[in-house]
Amino acid sequence: MLRESVQSTDNKVNFLDVTEGLSEYTEIPNAVELINFAEAIVSRDKKNINKARNILYKKLGNDVTVDAAAVASAFHGFVRIADTIGIPYKAAAGGQEGPEIRAATGINKFYRIQEVEGNQR
Amino acid sequence: MSAVPFENIDYDVRTDIVNAHSDAWKRIAAPGTWLNSERRLAVVAEIRQVQNCNYCKKIKSALSPFGLEGNHQTTKLLGDPEVELIHRGISDSGRLSQAWARKVIESGLTEGEYVEIVGIIASVMILDTMTMALGSKNTELPNKVSGEPRNYLPPGAKVQAAWLPIVEPEDAVETDEPLYPSPKAAYIYRGLSMVPESLRNYWAIANTHYIPGQYVYQFDQSIRAISRPQMELIAARVSGLHECAY
Repeated sequence: MLRESVQSTDNKVNFLDVTEGLSEYTEIPNAVELINFAEAIVSRDKKNINKARNILYKKLGNDVTVDAAAVASAFHGFVRIADTIGIPYKAAAGGQEGPEIRAATGINKFYRIQEVEGNQR
Repeated sequence: MSAVPFENIDYDVRTDIVNAHSDAWKRIAAPGTWLNSERRLAVVAEIRQVQNCNYCKKIKSALSPFGLEGNHQTTKLLGDPEVELIHRGISDSGRLSQAWARKVIESGLTEGEYVEIVGIIASVMILDTMTMALGSKNTELPNKVSGEPRNYLPPGAKVQAAWLPIVEPEDAVETDEPLYPSPKAAYIYRGLSMVPESLRNYWAIANTHYIPGQYVYQFDQSIRAISRPQMELIAARVSGLHECAY
């Protein structure tokens, strides 16, 4: 989804940011503030969350802050469904996310992929 | 805790999100398909307990997720299989396996109960994460609601692509009631389909926090205050931090 969303704009993204954090290559408006907020939410560290949220709010306002929080929250649910029900990762993005995008994002090192690929060897 | 979602916060939260939270808590407290109200609320209490579980912290930091011995710190409201599903499903979801899921089921849960609990986990993770993200307290649990679970098993549910049974769009029947917005619904959408009510309840929340299905493949527009690349960057990074390969 990240790849497709960037293709329709003049934004740029380093797919390794998915696993390694934001890089200088990535050019998505306000990516630093948004990623800092998202990472703080995942950490569940309230001090970090408050700090990141205040920075985002001061720079981009109420609606961006609320929508960024909402998207980050939504993916706390999606990942639990995918990983407890065992949805096949090869079905992601309608089956369009092939080996090249998994390699580019660095997710091939994830336990789930290692386990499946290991069992197939 | 707060009795009303987003009470006493400094942010103006979209009305559809506020309503989704209020509706979600009512549905969570109501009898489900396989679990009664009391058990569903016990699941929520256990979900909130995970943050206090030292065994979960040890598992999360261990190189081998199944190499440790220990016990979860629990509310003692539920049995071992429910506790294991809830704790690992939240604290280390990226390192689960099909063998682990089978073991949880074989130790005393039906597949329907498993899927319904996953639906509650996923829902509460969104609800509590959203309130936490905006500096609000957890919403208070509603009172339990009398009534019995409906015990409805979709006739088309079968194990095929995933570890648990799924109703593929072509196998959905009228008694399932509406399941999918489109026959091409993504696999993540099908995940809870063995318990149709859980699927509908979950997506009522998820659609308001992310985007409804009809907008998912419209990459050149955004119905939110952030652009689609901004949304997907957040989504991908959050998924990556959870080691979710999907």
